[in-house]
Formats: sequence, structure tokens, C-alpha cells
Amino acid sequence: MKVKRFAMVLDSNKCIDCKACTVACKVENNVPVEEGNYRNWVSEGALRGKFPDLGQSFQPGQCMQCANTPCDHVCPTGATWVNKDGIVLVDDHKCIGCKYCMTACPYNARYYNETTGAVDKCTFCVQRIYKGRQPACVETCPTKVRVFGDLNDPESEVSKLLVKHAYRVEKPEMGTDPFLFYLI
Amino acid sequence: MKVMPENAAIGQLRQALPDKRSSTALMALLGVGVVAGTAAIIYVLSVGHLHAYNLTREVPWGILISTYVFFVVSSTGLCLVYSLGHVFGIKKFEIIGKRAILLAILTLLVGFGTIAMELNHPFRMIIWVMLNPNLASPIWWMGTLYGIYLVLLCVEFYALMKHKHKLAATIGLLGFIAAVTAHSNLGAVFGLLEARPFWHGSFLPIYFILSAMVSGGALLAMIIYLNNTFRGRKIPADERNFMQSLGKLQALLLGILIFFVVWKIIPGLYGSPPGKFEATMAMLTGPLSVNFWLFEVLIGLAIPFAILINKRTRTAFGVMLAGVLSTVGIFFMRYDLVVAGQLVPMRVDKAENASPLLQYVPSPAEITIVIGAICLCVLLYVFAERKLDLKGMQEA
Repeated sequence: MKVKRFAMVLDSNKCIDCKACTVACKVENNVPVEEGNYRNWVSEGALRGKFPDLGQSFQPGQCMQCANTPCDHVCPTGATWVNKDGIVLVDDHKCIGCKYCMTACPYNARYYNETTGAVDKCTFCVQRIYKGRQPACVETCPTKVRVFGDLNDPESEVSKLLVKHAYRVEKPEMGTDPFLFYLI
Repeated sequence: MKVMPENAAIGQLRQALPDKRSSTALMALLGVGVVAGTAAIIYVLSVGHLHAYNLTREVPWGILISTYVFFVVSSTGLCLVYSLGHVFGIKKFEIIGKRAILLAILTLLVGFGTIAMELNHPFRMIIWVMLNPNLASPIWWMGTLYGIYLVLLCVEFYALMKHKHKLAATIGLLGFIAAVTAHSNLGAVFGLLEARPFWHGSFLPIYFILSAMVSGGALLAMIIYLNNTFRGRKIPADERNFMQSLGKLQALLLGILIFFVVWKIIPGLYGSPPGKFEATMAMLTGPLSVNFWLFEVLIGLAIPFAILINKRTRTAFGVMLAGVLSTVGIFFMRYDLVVAGQLVPMRVDKAENASPLLQYVPSPAEITIVIGAICLCVLLYVFAERKLDLKGMQEA
């Protein structure tokens, strides 16, 4: 079977900042309830214009599942690794809690999980996707901001979206080659 | 032996703290610090890092990391200054041999202890760095190189104690190479992070080596001088001679260090480069400005440089005082470097974050562990001075 390259395409214009994705993620992935513990987020853009003509944009995000992976490079024990489908994962039992990966990540996508005793991050919900289900954040989004799929399959929705629309990635200057694509 | 007070202040100090009782009193005081540090460690182990430390996902490295850096910088510096005598053949520097290497071992060990308290799983580390090493990781190299360096230091100390001069010369050279390699790699632990513009680049590995020499020289000035003071005796001629040369060397090194600090600041300001600029301003006018201007610049650089550059103040006492001041300054230098690099957020929430900078203030537990670590290091050294014969070659 052909190797997959999982990716996510996001249309931020559809985001209404309901934060259902962040709640779904925490429940699905047993993220401990403490400040600063989260795998995904919604960034609020600055308020535009003057009352009553106002505008604001929101941008959801999570681990960018980079192809050139700074967190993987710096991990001294190889606890962080990248699977064949491009998903960046953490082996909890190998993590020593040095937090080097947290300082290396330009996206602030990682936190230390005191319950599992390891650094934790988005895995595209590996426990779901290999059973043919969608990641929790994708499934719950009321406006379908996120689309998840395999970029190596030209017939997948993510591939088609990236053919049809112009897109950008976060912090391209870091050279991390992220696999979260934002439609322009 | 007749005590000849060098000046009134030291004379009073000598009278107040005579000989063995003085070091017993000092050891008791240091013991209190160690007990407090141990209590803080027990507290951390019982409530967990999350509740005991003020670290966040944005600022995951705090004062325990910077104190670790301070200790290993000191260790490297001691080894480098030691090498001037035993590797590069500057005779005057040979008298500090045993003391320099012993303190290099102690600072390194206490440094390891400090970082172990910052790691969530120090024992897991020992297993997995061997079973599943990531050779691309600067932290993996840091552990490995400092491990090799520690072994070499121990062999060197053994050779010096047993007067095995040939072995000491060979291991001394290897130790010098290990010190430079391990320590420049420590700079690379920070310098290879492209995500952190304030740290990224080749500056830190180079700067770490230079500032290590300043640290090592400063500590040596302190131990040579204070060892004589606490023993209530006049500084022997050869040690006074050494202090004179060390003072000149320190003046030169501090001058170069000032140059390094200036050229760290200017590229951080020129053209307001994103990330670097905010971190630089955090030091110049922001939350780290008192640390920077008062402790780093005034206490750590300007005053000791002024003392050492002036022939009249470059006495044994002056060199010791400059050592104390620059050691304090360098402690803050490490802290500011580690913290400033993390204060610039990786992701700005424009609607919520009015301030462009993150915050970090060490928790009481973090500070107490740091105090405990410093006390432990000094305590072990004072204890060793009592129990071991650490006299230099010419002194014996």
C-alpha cells in the first residue's frame, strides 16, 4: 500500500471562535485540566475598524506535523519521532522531561503532561484515524474549518483543496515545512 | 606565624573569624542552606514540578537551568585556567592545580544535581540516552561530553594527588579539549534553536568559552585569597604573585567580555529584528533590566574591570573582590540569557495579550534549591580543604 502523508487544510475564514475543537481535543485525548495544557488552540486576531464597523479573525492551530521537525532533531532520547505517515509522535516512556522540544518548537505546540509524565502534543488523533475516523477537532467543528486527509492521494479532499485554492503555512521562514495549510 | 593585616577590613575579618572555628561556623551556615535546599527538593518531589515551579509551556526553562549553566561554566573555566599552567606551561599557574580541579569536579557535580531537579525523569534519562541515543541532539552531546569531562577531571585530580606528573600532563590536555568541546556544545544547546532568535547562531558557543574563563579566574581568585584568610595566615609570596598575574589576565578577559556583551546587544537593536529585538529590550528596559544594568553591567563587569585595570587596586584583596563581584554578575548573566530567550512568545494572541512579553519569576522552591546547591558546593569545598592536602607544587 502506498505511504500516506497526513495533512490538514484549514479555512480560517469559517472559524467562529466557538472553541469546540479545543474542548473535543481535551476530552478525546485526556488532556489534564490545568492552565497551559492544550494540544490545539484558537488564536484571536486583532480587532479591526471602529465601532460599529468592526471585524475580527480567528485562526485555529495545533502541531504543524512539520516535515523538517525541530522537536525531533533536538530530543536527546528519541522520545519524539516521526512516523511513516508524517505524524510527529512522543513515546511517553522515553521522555525525560528536559523540555528541549518545547523550546525548539516555533509554534508553541507542546506542553508537559504531568499525568502521563511526558511532553504531549497533537497526534492528529492517531487512535481514531487508523480506524478510519476523523480527528476529534475535525469531527466536532460546526463550520468545517478543518479538513483532514492524505496528501499522497490526489483524490483526497485535502489534495483537491490545495489544488483549487492558494494557501499559506505558519512561519515558513523557519524552514520547518509544516503540514497544516491555511487557505488564503 | 605572625599575621600581617593587609588592610583594616581584612584585619577585622581575620580577627572576627580566626582559623578553624571560622570555617566551622561557615560550614554550619552552609549546612543550613543545604538543609533548606533538601527540604525544597522533598517538597518538589511530593507536590510535583507543576505546582512547585513557576514554569509554563511558554517558559519551560527557569532558574534551575540557568544555575546549572552557571555551575558548568564555572567548572569549565576552572579547567581552562588550570590548563594555562599544566598544559600551556605558564609556571605561575601551576600552584592552583589541585584546588582548581577539585572545585571543577564539585561545580560540575552540583550542576548535574541542579539540572536533575529541572528534569522530570533524570533516571529515565540515564537509561534512554544510552539505549536510544539521538546523535542530532545537542542535549545528548551535552550529557555525553560532560560525562567524559567529569571522568577526565577525576583522573586528573587523582594524578595530582598522587604526584603522577606524566599522567597529569596527558590527562590535562585531554581535559582541556573535553572542556572546550563540552562547553561550546552547551552554547550550541541554545545556539542551534532557530525558533529562538535571541539564542540562535554561533555567538553563544564562543561567548560561553570566553565567559567560562572569566568565571574560572574569578573563582580561583576567591579560593586562593579566602583559603589563606580563613586559615588566618598571610598569603604566601608565590600565591600573591599568582594573584597579580591572575588580576591582569582577568582584566583582559573582562575587557573582552564587555566587547562581547556590547556586540550581543547591538545586532539585537539594529533594525529591530523580530524576536531578537524584543528579547534584547527585555534586558535593556524590560523585566530583566535591573538584573542587566545593576548585576551584569555594574557589579559583574564595570566595577571589577575598574578594580583590575588600576595597578593600585589590583592587590590580592582587589583581585579577590573583583572575583566575587564578577561571579555574582555572571550568575545573573546566565539567568538573563536563559530567560530572555524565552520571553518572546512563539504565538501572539493579539486580542488578549496586551504585553508582547511573557513572564517568569522563580518560585520560592526554585530559589531555595538554587541556594541549597550553592551552599552544598561551597560546603563540600571547605570540607575538602580541611581533609585533603591541596597545596600546590611550589607550596609543598
